[in-house]
Amino acid sequence: MLVPLPRGRGRQRWVLALGALGLAGALIAAKVAPGATRGRAAPTTIPTADAVVAEVPPLAAAARTARIRAAAGDVDAAIAIARAAIDRARADGDPRYLGQAQAALARWWDEPAPPPPLLLLRATIRQALHDFAGARVDLDRLLADHPDDAQARLTRAVVAQVGDDRATAAADCAAVTRLAGELWGAACAAPLAAAAGAGPAARARLATAIRGGRDATAAAWATTALGELDRQLGDDGAAELALRTALAAAPDDVYTLAALADLLLDAGRPAEALTLVGDRAADALALRRAIALHRLAAPGAAAARAALAARFAAARARGDDLHLRERARFELEVLGDARAAVQSATAGWAIQREAADARILLDAALAARDRAAAAPVLAWMRRAAIDDVQLTRRRAAVEALP
Amino acid sequence: MRAAVVVVAALALTASGAVAHTQSDGYVELTAAGAEVTGRVDLAARDLELAIDLDDGDGALRWREVAAAAPRLHAYLRDHLALRVAAGPCPLVLGALGTVPRADGAHLAIALRATCPGPADPLTVDYRALFAVDAQHRGLIRFDSGAGATVAVARGAPVTLVGGARPAVRRFVVEGVWHIWRGFDHVCFLIALLLPGVFVRRGRRLAPAPTLGGVVRDVLAVVTAFTLAHSITLVVATMGWVRLAPGVVEPAIALSVAAAAANNLTRTVDARWAVAFALGLLHGFGFSGVLTDLGLPGATLAPALFGFNLGVELGQLAIVLAFLPLAFLVRRTRSYRVGMWLASAAMVVIALDWAVTRLAA
Repeated sequence: MLVPLPRGRGRQRWVLALGALGLAGALIAAKVAPGATRGRAAPTTIPTADAVVAEVPPLAAAARTARIRAAAGDVDAAIAIARAAIDRARADGDPRYLGQAQAALARWWDEPAPPPPLLLLRATIRQALHDFAGARVDLDRLLADHPDDAQARLTRAVVAQVGDDRATAAADCAAVTRLAGELWGAACAAPLAAAAGAGPAARARLATAIRGGRDATAAAWATTALGELDRQLGDDGAAELALRTALAAAPDDVYTLAALADLLLDAGRPAEALTLVGDRAADALALRRAIALHRLAAPGAAAARAALAARFAAARARGDDLHLRERARFELEVLGDARAAVQSATAGWAIQREAADARILLDAALAARDRAAAAPVLAWMRRAAIDDVQLTRRRAAVEALP
Repeated sequence: MRAAVVVVAALALTASGAVAHTQSDGYVELTAAGAEVTGRVDLAARDLELAIDLDDGDGALRWREVAAAAPRLHAYLRDHLALRVAAGPCPLVLGALGTVPRADGAHLAIALRATCPGPADPLTVDYRALFAVDAQHRGLIRFDSGAGATVAVARGAPVTLVGGARPAVRRFVVEGVWHIWRGFDHVCFLIALLLPGVFVRRGRRLAPAPTLGGVVRDVLAVVTAFTLAHSITLVVATMGWVRLAPGVVEPAIALSVAAAAANNLTRTVDARWAVAFALGLLHGFGFSGVLTDLGLPGATLAPALFGFNLGVELGQLAIVLAFLPLAFLVRRTRSYRVGMWLASAAMVVIALDWAVTRLAA
């Protein structure tokens, strides 16, 4: 069928080769992505009848009845549901339970002065949802009438610390010692002492209290606090021991797992950090997992990064600021986007002022070589002789920036 | 006292560090075309379980259980979602269920449709699902009225969304250009028709066209016929005067590509402008499908149609201008003939594969 033609001129050959190559490329692309321009929302699928669509936490019939009673105004039912949900939020590191706890208290949520137990639960939920100002108002009101409520004192000590109100925090921790015992008081005061240059004394006090304590749960909690204090004082060996001891008593404690994972990551032991967090779902642990996989350049790194990016995108779409500290770490340590991390960490610092928030802002500022961004943390550190080698090391590096 | 302290104290310390994101989100995606609204609501399976008790209690929610609960799901959504415009409410027609993975796990998707008593832009969305079980729930609403999407977050009160206020002709022009460039089937069709344009028939043989003028005339005839044909069907399909199921149109377009390419191998029809016209009619239906997918603003249908078609022609013109000089330059080479033959053969194979795939889908 082809017609013989005079032979083509040589200099035109390469043009043809290029053209043929381009056409072949286009055809292959067409084969790979036929009609790539369709709708935007992910398509739905219809599973088979026996396919498991989702794992749903089972809810006992009694719990359903309790919800109905709570919605109808039964205070005791509401308290029980909210307490259980808060406990679940803590155990699983799943903030959904906080929304469920709040829903149980819906009838009383906007009341200025609900009954004291509800006030305390509301403050706890508000604090966990990072409404520190709202939590503070509730706790101030509760403690004005009931100054000897140990739980309220302890919660306010944490809220006050986050808000950088060290005087109130110190007074509350002293009250906790008086009301709930030395172990609680020592653990309450430990981070405060580190932030005021009294770390070594606080560590001695905490270690003594743990040895003398009888309450296993309190001891596990205090041991985690001891581990964190050891890290701030630069003794990572002792810190690892303390955190592992705390985990032996409470193996699934999200906060302790995250603290130990951070220690391992900082020590250049990402493989151990990965083993430690396993496949636990809590976001704090998903972040450490993604960082570890990223450092190891492991096969699952891309998937972990994508999953976490999707969670942060969803959080951003709903317009919440619960996760700025973690988002900043993700941006810095997984995405390698120092500018974005500076923005997130700066926004986080405006809401929450704990050592971890200071640390990520300094890290981001260092990576972005942006000394000005670190200024708020440097000013905060100047206010007291802070015992925290993690922070002082970074401060030195920031101050060496041009 | 001590035991109670434990719970709250532990939370107090952990909450600020360990707890983050993955809160409860519902997704409402709505597209308005005139007074018609179509869309979908995605709600997390575990949230719906709390609200309407889907699971049989074993903690593993199976599709069978979801399907059985469809009437309750529909009733729940009807009670917790309302759409309205200034002229009055838009009654909801709820449709098929499906599942879709989201950042926080599996969601159940419910298709919906509504007819408003007036233009559905601006549209008020009264979304109240799941707040009773999770006070931190948020409804993420995405609304597209054809002139760009707007988003809003529902926190328990009705939200009014305003789509693009002005007719975005420019956007449709851009969409038209993109569609012709990214829709490989249209590009292939055009290329298949243009490839032999630099030859003239001499008896049973093809000879290189002696002048550029003749080539331009041939190409012009093909392109004009294609444009005329797909413009006609684009208009009649978009206006709703003639309707073809997408399940028919898409495979047919693939077959038209195969036919145009095969004609280069067999040379059955010399008047390629006629091929361009006859088969080009199919492509207009495809363009119309895209245009409808984009969401048509009811009041500004004509400018959208005009803009989209203009974009298609501009995109097509760019391809012709890129192809024609090069092809004319090398029309005397043997490689061009071989290339034309190989490319046509490849297009036949690939287009047939498309047709099969699209029929299966």
